[in-house]
Amino acid sequence: MPAEEVVRAEGLRKRFGSQIALDGLTLTVPQGQLFGLAGPNGAGKTTLIRTLCGLLRPDAGDVHLLGWRMPSARVRSQLGYMPQDFAVYDDLDVIQNLQFFGELYGLRRAQVRERAAELLGLVQLTDRRRQRVGTLSGGMRRRVSLAISLLHKPRLAFLDEPTAGVDPKLRRSFWDYFTRLAEQDVTLVVTTHLVEEAQRCHVVGFLMAGRLLARGTPSEILAETAATNLDDAFIALQERGEAR
Amino acid sequence: MMTSLALARNILQRIVRDVRTLALIVVLPLFFVLLYGNSFSGSYSGLRLVVVNEDNGLASVRTAERDRITLTVDLGNAFLDAVDRDVFDVVVVEGAEEALAAVGREAAAAIVFPKSFSNMIVNEAVRASGERKVEVDGSTATILPSDPVDGPTTSLRIDDSNPLMSRAVLASLQETFATVLETQQSSLTVGALLDVQPLYQGKIRILDFTAPGIIGFAMTLITVMLTAMSVVRERTSGTLTRILIAPVSAWQVTLGYTLAFSAIAVFQSAELLLASVGLFGIRFVGSPGVATLVIVLFAIGLQGIATLISTLSRNEAQAMQFVLFLLIPSILLGGVFWPLETMPAAIRPLAYAIPLTYANSALRKVMLTGAGLANLAFEASVLAGIALVALLLSVLSMRRQASAA
Repeated sequence: MPAEEVVRAEGLRKRFGSQIALDGLTLTVPQGQLFGLAGPNGAGKTTLIRTLCGLLRPDAGDVHLLGWRMPSARVRSQLGYMPQDFAVYDDLDVIQNLQFFGELYGLRRAQVRERAAELLGLVQLTDRRRQRVGTLSGGMRRRVSLAISLLHKPRLAFLDEPTAGVDPKLRRSFWDYFTRLAEQDVTLVVTTHLVEEAQRCHVVGFLMAGRLLARGTPSEILAETAATNLDDAFIALQERGEAR
Repeated sequence: MMTSLALARNILQRIVRDVRTLALIVVLPLFFVLLYGNSFSGSYSGLRLVVVNEDNGLASVRTAERDRITLTVDLGNAFLDAVDRDVFDVVVVEGAEEALAAVGREAAAAIVFPKSFSNMIVNEAVRASGERKVEVDGSTATILPSDPVDGPTTSLRIDDSNPLMSRAVLASLQETFATVLETQQSSLTVGALLDVQPLYQGKIRILDFTAPGIIGFAMTLITVMLTAMSVVRERTSGTLTRILIAPVSAWQVTLGYTLAFSAIAVFQSAELLLASVGLFGIRFVGSPGVATLVIVLFAIGLQGIATLISTLSRNEAQAMQFVLFLLIPSILLGGVFWPLETMPAAIRPLAYAIPLTYANSALRKVMLTGAGLANLAFEASVLAGIALVALLLSVLSMRRQASAA
């Protein structure tokens, strides 16, 4: 397989009881791509991300990340994952959270300090580094969570709604950062509900009922749905999906 | 190892930062000890015993020298003097009906000595033991055994709605009777017939006997609750997912948890033991090192079981209910209050499946009899086995933890 295919998933099926979450899904993401995952609530976005990361075992199908068949312990050090829930320690302060997860990735204290300085600058929490996370607002906690996910310089990052509850100005600087990471050949798979975010992705996949209904650059999606903006395009795709 | 240490430090750091949890961890063992030390003495006190003493105190006996003579022995009052006042509040009343009617209401027992009580006791004693000599009015008289004496018997009515209590009442009163009888039949005292050699000089109180089990139960309760809740919370908050997706093996995670929660459990056990010995003088004659070994093995097993419980639970409420499935058999079947030997054979295998059974037995041996490691080989190996199996299963379940989130 070509080395630049960082994510390769084939025929993924996953069901929870009678609920089909992934319905024979196939997906590839090349290195350095900023891949946006859109779709209505319950489309299977989080299930897909958790399955790709190896947190969920698919009922059928294969996942290869960075050339390794999942689940594989070898990709873990190069994998970043930001779950939808905050997944931070409320009782610890910001820097302690970063230090702990840094240690899990084998970073030395000096490395953690250096990375923490950069990422806390990005998420604008430098002056809150000694504050207990439980006392931060929801948006700030999500920013801590993002900083943790990118701390170890992953080559591939799955970010599940990284900007939910984050104000528009900061949201924009996050996406500037994601674009910069992609330019450095980091591959990002980001779920979003926001059209303006989807527009900044290299490629967008529209997921519904466990299937990729559309996949292409934002302009390709517009062309396919004959819409003038992505909002209308997504609505058209959703209606197409519901009609099936 | 560094990773496991980081995990352990993370858990401890969070507990130290969470002042309320920290306070609960420190206060709970002390609270436990204060409560059981003060509430559970193992003996009864303040039970009301109503006594009607119609005994005229006289005994009429046949002698070889001068036919019948009358002795003044006053056994009814002798009985009253011998009653264990630590156990009983004695109320002396007139009227048998009234006394017997009080049982089951304010009185635990009532006893009515008939007029001929002394007479009967003395004659029965002589009949059983044969003739004997007594000093009467400056000369020696030989009392001869006589025929059985007829007459009203002594009534003892007991409130047996609480069998444990009625057994204790009966035992105490029988002891009192034995004391009274010994005054009449000195050749037949227990002490004269048997060379009684209590192995521990009767120094082990019921409180001492139950303390190791209660300490073990407190450990089970506190450790399993804390560990299970913490792990479930780690999972529901999503941080466990982050840990499991990091380049960390299930072994390292389990080891980190084990280090942290076993350390807390050992700290709390030390507190339980020190408070028990310091505040209530609980017997501890063994080696603290051996006791620590038992506690560490027990603690590792407990936190392993707690991790398994957390795997089976989707949330804290479920974990709580699962914990009860360990706690209830532990307190009932772990041999804390009644020995395994009193349990029906059918249920004993269940008792042997409970970690507390072994911890209790081992701690009892160390604390009460000063047993060394050689005498604890069985208990220690079983506890080590439980710890090992619980750890292995925890490692396997770690993989499930993430997908269960």
